[in-house]
Amino acid sequence: MYANDVKMSWEEVIEETRDFLSEEFEVDRDLILPENSLKDTLDLDSLDYVDLVVLIDENLNIKLTGEDFKEIVTFGDFYQLVRKKLAL
Amino acid sequence: MLVAKEAITDYIPHRAPFVMVGNLVSATRERFESDFEIAGDNVLVRDGFFQETGLIEHMAQTCAASFGYLDKEEGRAPKIGFIGAVSKVLVTELPPVGATIHTVVTPLHQLGNIYLVKGESSLDGRILLGCELKIVVSE
Repeated sequence: MYANDVKMSWEEVIEETRDFLSEEFEVDRDLILPENSLKDTLDLDSLDYVDLVVLIDENLNIKLTGEDFKEIVTFGDFYQLVRKKLAL
Repeated sequence: MLVAKEAITDYIPHRAPFVMVGNLVSATRERFESDFEIAGDNVLVRDGFFQETGLIEHMAQTCAASFGYLDKEEGRAPKIGFIGAVSKVLVTELPPVGATIHTVVTPLHQLGNIYLVKGESSLDGRILLGCELKIVVSE
């Protein structure tokens, strides 16, 4: 029950994240998949990363730093970072 | 007042005729405040009014002066910053020649050497410009 609750809330976090990323960066939601490149899919330049940080802060109340992005390549990496920050 | 307009070029790289900030009123890592008197011979004045581009440049130079002041206070050499992006711009009024505008800027986020700031310029309590800037500071 507890595990299921955690899983559900985590899935909700992922779905919400896909929603606001696709809306903000005008990208097909179906392309936001764990195996896809975060940078290439969202077509991020260095300035866009600031928008991403703002979005994550506003929607998930997580404050990310430049260091946090060093190991992130895919959305899967990104989700793991979010999960770690949310302590889920 | 932290820096009078006569000394403002000690803190920014800009030079006449493109100095668009006057006195630096206050500066902390959380809030910058400046003023600027619109001179008749300002290169961004048209038909007696300071233009939108001038208001945005004034806001950016408020950031430059504040970062420069804070760096100097903390014993570091001032860095050069550039406007990376301008967004959420709302201009409601242009100030006339002779007016002194007042600007408050709040840094919202920092990611590496990029700062997202939000600012408002006003004249006699009326908001002239609101916008967000991404300022890229040279490493």
